[in-house]
Amino acid sequence: MSRKTYLILSVLLIVSFALTACGAPAATQAPPAATEAPASTEAPAAEPVTVTWWHITTKDPGLSDWQKMADDYMAAHPNVKIEITVLENEAFKTKLTTVMQSGDPPDIFQSWGGGTFNQQVQAGLLKDITADLEADPTWRDSFAPGALGVYSFEGKNYGVPWDMGMVGFWYNKALFEQAGIAAPPATWTEFLGDVQKLKDAGITPISIGEGDKWPGMHFWNYLATRICGQAKFEAAMARTGSFTDPCFVEAGTKLQELVALEPFQNGFLGAVHDDMQAAFGNGKAAMELSGQWAPSTQAANSADQKGIGDNLGLFGFPAVEGGAGEGTDVVGGGNGFAIGKNAEPEAVDFVKYLTSVQNQTTIAANGSGIPVVKGAEAGLTDPNMLQVQQTFAAAKYFQLYYDQFLPPATGSVLNDSVQGLFAGTLTPEQVAQAVEDSVAQEMK
Amino acid sequence: MEAYHPVRHSNRLQKFITRFLQYFILAIVVVIIFVPIVILIFGSLKTTGEMYSHPYTIPNPPHWENLTTILSTPAFWRLLRNSLVLMLATTTGVVLVCGLAAFVFARLDFRGKGLFFNLFTLGLMFPINVAILPVYFVLRQMNEMGIHLIDSLVGVILVQIAFNISGNIMILRGFFTAIPSELQDASYIDGCNNFDFFWRILLPLARPALAAVAALTMIVSWNDLLVPLVVLNSDQLWTLPLGTMQFQGQYGQDLALVSAFVALSAIPTIIFYLFAERQIISGLTAGAVKG
Amino acid sequence: MQQLPAIPDILKLKRVSGAPHRLQDTVLIALFLLPALILFLLFVIYPIFRSIYFSLFDWNGLGPAVDFVGLQNFKDILTDQVFLKAFKNIFLIIVFSVGVQLPLALALAVMVGRDLPGRGLFRTIFFMPYVLSEINVAIMWMLLYNPDPDRGLLNAIVVALGSEPIGWLSNTNLVLFSIFIALTWKYFGFHMLLYLAGLQNIPQELEEAARIDGANSFQNFFYITLPLLGSTIRTSVYLSVLGSIQQFILVWIMTKGGPVNASETLATYMYRFGFVRFQLGYGSAVAIYMFLLCLIFSLLYQRLTRQPDYLTGL
Repeated sequence: MSRKTYLILSVLLIVSFALTACGAPAATQAPPAATEAPASTEAPAAEPVTVTWWHITTKDPGLSDWQKMADDYMAAHPNVKIEITVLENEAFKTKLTTVMQSGDPPDIFQSWGGGTFNQQVQAGLLKDITADLEADPTWRDSFAPGALGVYSFEGKNYGVPWDMGMVGFWYNKALFEQAGIAAPPATWTEFLGDVQKLKDAGITPISIGEGDKWPGMHFWNYLATRICGQAKFEAAMARTGSFTDPCFVEAGTKLQELVALEPFQNGFLGAVHDDMQAAFGNGKAAMELSGQWAPSTQAANSADQKGIGDNLGLFGFPAVEGGAGEGTDVVGGGNGFAIGKNAEPEAVDFVKYLTSVQNQTTIAANGSGIPVVKGAEAGLTDPNMLQVQQTFAAAKYFQLYYDQFLPPATGSVLNDSVQGLFAGTLTPEQVAQAVEDSVAQEMK
Repeated sequence: MEAYHPVRHSNRLQKFITRFLQYFILAIVVVIIFVPIVILIFGSLKTTGEMYSHPYTIPNPPHWENLTTILSTPAFWRLLRNSLVLMLATTTGVVLVCGLAAFVFARLDFRGKGLFFNLFTLGLMFPINVAILPVYFVLRQMNEMGIHLIDSLVGVILVQIAFNISGNIMILRGFFTAIPSELQDASYIDGCNNFDFFWRILLPLARPALAAVAALTMIVSWNDLLVPLVVLNSDQLWTLPLGTMQFQGQYGQDLALVSAFVALSAIPTIIFYLFAERQIISGLTAGAVKG
Repeated sequence: MQQLPAIPDILKLKRVSGAPHRLQDTVLIALFLLPALILFLLFVIYPIFRSIYFSLFDWNGLGPAVDFVGLQNFKDILTDQVFLKAFKNIFLIIVFSVGVQLPLALALAVMVGRDLPGRGLFRTIFFMPYVLSEINVAIMWMLLYNPDPDRGLLNAIVVALGSEPIGWLSNTNLVLFSIFIALTWKYFGFHMLLYLAGLQNIPQELEEAARIDGANSFQNFFYITLPLLGSTIRTSVYLSVLGSIQQFILVWIMTKGGPVNASETLATYMYRFGFVRFQLGYGSAVAIYMFLLCLIFSLLYQRLTRQPDYLTGL
């Protein structure tokens, strides 16, 4: 018996070796007819260089577009090999932190800026590229300054953005019509009323993936921004104020009002982000609170790969009556490339290529983000994405989503606590207190 | 004795009913076992659209696209190869290391034997699920000292071997002590030293035990998700369970595709099980009943 | 038991007959023991000490550990609601396992018994889930538990029977139970196997003798079979409890301990603080607690179950 087992195993081994050899990955093969040779500022080094790149665009068209950009670059720079690792959002966060622990970060990797980014800088894990930006003013000035600032710490740059947008309510126009809602709600009261109308029409009002926790955090984030305003939040962060201020508790109370209406899809507490996008993309829910990545992920996760097409609309988070915040305040964020401390100059050069106007226009066109480089917004043809970009540009106060802005431990506490609000296991006071305690400990 | 005759008829009926009930209940259990597996197989043979429109029917006709798509991606074979390499290396290591140690515990006597044995018993109480964080610290420390075990298959192999030592030493020791000591005495009289006895007499006799340990370790290593998850970073080194987890995270909405992947990744295990069932079972029962 | 007195004599014999002397023996023993010892000390024993060290710090893993907090981590763990919930969940899983899974396995083992035609086939089928990897089992059951009746078989059945779809994995009151079903599906075959092996060891004559004396099947089972299965049952319970305490992958993949910690186990708790939040000092302290729990349970169990084994009379 054991001999037979070993025989089978040897056969398997040989077969799998052979197949791996035959099916050599095509990642490093140069595609034919590159559109435009990437601008390379310095003469390519003679020795081969490997650049590792981790990103989280798991679906097409973004996935293939990134690959194509890498392939084009490698074609123009034969000595550079770009190894791409694509990970899903949650898996990426975990893997990245593990790798940071061993002090060996990837050369280029996905970053949202904020508290996590700052911690990485302070631990010496990122490369200071201020000099590279200074040496190429065209490149540096091509970025929207606010966006570039997200990836800097104490005046020095450690990464560059490629996408910056905002979170808002994506809605299904057809379903709204079906429920008899003439126009998107402008205030919180109108919003709750619309939720009720949708329920009465037998439509699931909101799709949410609270299993991942951060989708729900956006609700609390916006409510806090609307009710407390910029001043109170910044005071709490500066430790001159506190997160136990009644306005933050009020944010939780308002959220409870919404949850009490039972507006979410079945199983929302265990649903992940992809489930949320799928439910909306398949037309099973009327609204979702999500960011500029929503349209492309809705399509990618829907059964027909198209999402809800022309029925997709966007309205900003409603104003809360009596709140200290402005209705134009925007909560959002984006994506950027952080540069790891061991990165070679070729990595920085590749990132320069990735953020060129032409490639940024591709990003605009494929809907995976809102470009941050001047001139690329010409690629934004989708009216919804244009609306995002314009609302973002018009906002006086832009807040990076709390779970990225706050120190990582606090972000984690916030996400967990807000999930407790959705599940009815925590009170608004407890949520506010938990955040306050964590901030106090992290910022001491 | 007079009671026998009248009892006989109802006895036979009773026996029949009992047998029928037994088979009925067992059949229900068989169905329960098969339902998740069958749903998985159905899913893998449907297109994603069909998964929505006809989720619970037999796929007709069966669509092989998802299966062929997965089988034609080199990444899948890379996962298989890594898992295979890992499994073979770990199993060889475990059989060697535990065989040697178990021999010493079973057939020889020396100062501190009890102490060392109790040390290994401690390992049973510190299973890998509990130890993974502490082990990660040690691997990190070794990384800092220049021994790069993180993001390397060797690291996974060493950790897997280390955590399979305790149980398998127990199993092998049990088998080895069962060999009659007369054999050992006789071999000494014939002029063998301990090594000769080990190599020429004990090992051939212990082949079923070693096969059992090998089969068990193969299963444990092949299915291991935790150690590769923590130790490996580069997707070139991922093993099959790790790849499955990643695949599900990435394509979770495409139920048919995920079903196909999981089904394909379960096939090697099932094939192995059907061939090595006896070894696996004998290893488990020996370890459990005697340990 | 027999060899122990023999060995010293053999050694004497060897010495007398000019056979290899003690140094070679010691070298052999050392060499044979060394690989196991090195790997074991390095990867099993040393990590215990290393994590005891780190558990005394507040450390996020980036850079060296400098924030010494003494036993604070240990205290914080005991007052953390989520930890207590995890502890309670483990206790529930143990109770379910020992109270439901084990009797089920035993009943099936008895049914399959010694002489049922086709028992080999049953054994093969029932044991099969055990060899599947936990990730595969988790995904299979997640498919079944899907909240949408158009995708999850169980909810399709529930809806067909006329009720609302059930949130198997999203209802905080049900999720632990749902996980337990998946666990039972995977592991009951293993325990059934143990009992089958144990049943083989019971001489059939005893049962026949009892039957001649007038015992019916039930009496036979409770007074003869069960006591003789004592050591097997003890082993089965021991393995089941230890397995429940360390249960990780299945729970993590299906729910990550959620929603809202409803299915949190000790292992998911430790993993989250260690590998997700990277509060490594805190995570180390959790690992220490888990290790102590396993250790204490093992020692207590050995002490409590030192009953005479009826079969061998020892």
